[in-house]
Amino acid sequence: MSQIRNSNVLDVLLWLLRQRQRFRVEGVSMLPLLLPGEEVLVDRRAYWRSPPAREDLIVVRSPDQPSFRLIKRVVLTRQDGACFVQGDNPSQSTDSRVFGWVEPLFILGRVTSRFL
Amino acid sequence: MLSLKTIATRIKTWFPAPIVHAHCDGPCGVYDPAAARIAAEAVLSMTKKILELQPPDGGDLKAMAAYENTITRYVQIKEEQTQLTKKELLVLWTDYFKPVHLEQFPDLHTQFWNVAKLCSACKVEVSLQHANELMEAIETIQKMFWVTKNRTDVPWYKAS
Repeated sequence: MSQIRNSNVLDVLLWLLRQRQRFRVEGVSMLPLLLPGEEVLVDRRAYWRSPPAREDLIVVRSPDQPSFRLIKRVVLTRQDGACFVQGDNPSQSTDSRVFGWVEPLFILGRVTSRFL
Repeated sequence: MLSLKTIATRIKTWFPAPIVHAHCDGPCGVYDPAAARIAAEAVLSMTKKILELQPPDGGDLKAMAAYENTITRYVQIKEEQTQLTKKELLVLWTDYFKPVHLEQFPDLHTQFWNVAKLCSACKVEVSLQHANELMEAIETIQKMFWVTKNRTDVPWYKAS
């Protein structure tokens, strides 16, 4: 399972310049990678030029409940950019196994680092 | 000078970030004994590898270092995977199985108690016998699990 690096000065600078967005993780579906309460930085423009790739950690809107933002891992991708996402802790995760493929419109960005 | 970490901690406190959910519609209802089986297979595999690994002869320090490195890795993986096996089994026991299943399988608690003890034994020892017994116990639990779901089409198989 791929790791996530910690943010460095450049990441913080990008955040200050509004090129990265901070999010606080709630829930246990991304254990052991992300603990509840940890923060991540997200690049919301990551997929403007290229589609998501397998293993990417992404933030999406829940297809069932679009106001609900989820953090999951990309397991499969489709030609049109849609993703099949899953939690790293599958026994404690509601993900594409429940709500199906996530359309590109619902993909908010790629997690670039852990904010600390 | 303030470290990056201190600054970040202050930012987190003063400017709370929006929430992103790593969530589970608890209970998500997605359970599968396969998770425990895969971890237990790793335990069995590591137990075999530890038992098979031969220390080098004589005073070859480099070979000794390589040996110790390898054996440490095997032991570490075995430790992790036994713990994971136990955790996956406890999730099934405490979250999936309900009182109604006890009517169907009166010895359910004993089964889980025994398999949890087996996990501990596999962690503490290097026992091929206990590692094999762990796999057998998980096979029994898998059968019970799918019976409770009225499924007869799920075979027992191993990844290794």
